[in-house]
Amino acid sequence: MREIRNEDPTARWSRAPGGNRSFPTTGVTAGALVVAAGKAATRPDRSRVRIALIGLSLVIALLGLAFRLFQVQVVQAADLAGQGLDQRLVTRDLAPQRGKIYDRNGELLAMTVEAQSIWANPTQVEEPLWVAQQVGGLLGVNSQELLTRLESDREFVYLKRQVEPGVAEQIAALEVRGVYAHPESTRIYPAGAVASHVTGFVDIDGNGQEGLEYMYDEALRGVPGKAVFERDLEGRIIPQGISDIVAAVPGTDLNTTIDLPLQYQAQQACVSAVDRTDAESCWVVVLDVESGGVLALAGAPVFDPQTRQTVDEDCDPALVPTCHSFRNFIVRGVYEPGSTQKLITVAAAIEEGEVKAGTVIPGVADLLELRPDACRSADDDLFGCYRDFEEHETANMSVREIFTRSSNVGTILVAEKLGQDRLISYIERFGLGAKTGVDYSVEAPGTLNFEAGCETCWASAAIGYSVAATPLQMAAAYGAIGNDGIWTAPHIVASTTDVNGGQDVAALETKRVVSPETAVLMQDLLADVVDEGTGQAATVTGYQVGGKTGTANKLGEDGRYTEVTRASFVGMAPMSNPKVVVAVLIDAPSYRYRTGGASAAPVFAQVMEQALHRLGVPPDVGAG
Amino acid sequence: MTAARPLRHPAPKQGMRVLPGRKQLRRPALAPWMMMVLIGVAAFLGLGFARTSLDRSAFELDRLDRAIAEQEAINEQLRLEIARMENPARIAPLAEELGLMIPGDTKQLLVDLGGPAVASVDEGDTQ
Repeated sequence: MREIRNEDPTARWSRAPGGNRSFPTTGVTAGALVVAAGKAATRPDRSRVRIALIGLSLVIALLGLAFRLFQVQVVQAADLAGQGLDQRLVTRDLAPQRGKIYDRNGELLAMTVEAQSIWANPTQVEEPLWVAQQVGGLLGVNSQELLTRLESDREFVYLKRQVEPGVAEQIAALEVRGVYAHPESTRIYPAGAVASHVTGFVDIDGNGQEGLEYMYDEALRGVPGKAVFERDLEGRIIPQGISDIVAAVPGTDLNTTIDLPLQYQAQQACVSAVDRTDAESCWVVVLDVESGGVLALAGAPVFDPQTRQTVDEDCDPALVPTCHSFRNFIVRGVYEPGSTQKLITVAAAIEEGEVKAGTVIPGVADLLELRPDACRSADDDLFGCYRDFEEHETANMSVREIFTRSSNVGTILVAEKLGQDRLISYIERFGLGAKTGVDYSVEAPGTLNFEAGCETCWASAAIGYSVAATPLQMAAAYGAIGNDGIWTAPHIVASTTDVNGGQDVAALETKRVVSPETAVLMQDLLADVVDEGTGQAATVTGYQVGGKTGTANKLGEDGRYTEVTRASFVGMAPMSNPKVVVAVLIDAPSYRYRTGGASAAPVFAQVMEQALHRLGVPPDVGAG
Repeated sequence: MTAARPLRHPAPKQGMRVLPGRKQLRRPALAPWMMMVLIGVAAFLGLGFARTSLDRSAFELDRLDRAIAEQEAINEQLRLEIARMENPARIAPLAEELGLMIPGDTKQLLVDLGGPAVASVDEGDTQ
């Protein structure tokens, strides 16, 4: 049967037979076939239209959403994922910790610590004048200078780099808008100016500029690392995110042969010597005879490696050009060694069997002309006129006497027996005219002036002219005599320690220059110089000391010798078994102190005594 | 006459239709499904918990790393402080203020082990 009934157009919900409310219908009763009839059923119902429209809208919206979803998830997926990753992903260069520099006792000479660099964004600073005054006071920077920076139209200006964390905290406490701090490593030299001539220094960006810092820059700086990671809004690493961290490898530590207390004593002795003698500068190098290790390398004027400025407030650069010089004269400066060179001349003659210590050289005068009438001219020293420092009667003198009294004429007569070629050979064998190979930046090789046709060069070289050497070369040459004839290359770094604790010990470079017998004989002659010769001011109580004075006139700008001298003393102790060589050079002392015996020998004694004490060398039996 | 052959498929009667009998469906066993759902839920929760724990550990590790770095920085500052304190240039003036001085007059005692002790005294100003 068919049931036909009129539909109630207003019906929204019908009740199912069970009495439960069913889904909204248009009046169709469940379980019955209802056929719309009548006028109302033949035209589209408004509700249906609305529903259809809503449905259509929903469908369109869903389609739109689906389209957008497709776009986002499929078409632009890679780009959008990349953009999101870019926001989270951070790449940071990991700066390696620069290696430390230690002295031979493990005392720190240089290290790197975390500091804070203060910077500002001038566009954010509201009251530049007030900020410049407040921050400038804390930073120790001129407030006017800061104000200029703060009023610039840039968005980043440094106010001061690498300040101590405490200062940065004080600035942060001011809560100044537009002023910020970021961490940055800084190089610190705890020994201050004491070891400045050894360590050298780095620039503001941590690049080695001088000394060991420059020489070992590559090893000290380490290998930079890189960190790539995802971070959240608070900057924390997202644990399950992308993380690729290549750790930085810290730089290698340098273990030097420098003895810091001795270095201090040497520097103090030099500073005092400059004051006492009114010299331009003073330089001291202390060598361990056997190993060639440099125990001290000091000079005056002194500079602070932190500020890279002299610490001597009285030093006027207009008067003394070396005031602001960082040049280490011991390694880079060349000078005519004068009488200290006689060690090589006499040792060569003895080694070659031309003379013995007791050989008498007849007719040693206090004046020698290698060219006729050479001594009549004003610039006689350049043209073959040689004088002894003190006038004396012509006499027969033994080689020992010649050496002890530092006779120029006598030494030239000894060298005459040797001949120029063999003299040059020994000068080179003792390491002059070539770099010693010391591990310090830009070492000078020195020069040997033996021009072809030069008739007097050999004689000049025999007494320390026509030869330019560094104080370190002279110290190494004396070290060879102290080491029984074996020359050892001087070095400052004994070993390096990498991040894993692995040590790399510096290899010793040695060579024999004279026989042990010759060396022992020369030690004996050196001891005589101090006992009864020109170097008596070098005496050290309790130890027998040997050494040689040197006084060389400086060349003027016109190429002629002036009255200004370079006074030096090079010696060793104890003479029973030499352990230490000390070389002292005083540049341009006042006239009263113009000789090595007057100015350099006392400094030698002061430094040598401290060196022997520091090394625990027992006193010589019977030594005064 | 032959009798009319009966139709193989008799024509259905008008207004009537045959409804196939309703198959009696077996009720699916609930236990395995429930187990699977439970296992799934447990695995989901477990994974979530494990991940949370991992994240928490990672944050803790990160915090510890930062703390170590801070302590190392403090340690380096202390090392620097020690090195500055041990600088001879700082100690020497302080020692002089306290009346201390570098040994001047030295005295060496040389002992002859073969016989009675023999003292040899050397004195002098070593400055």
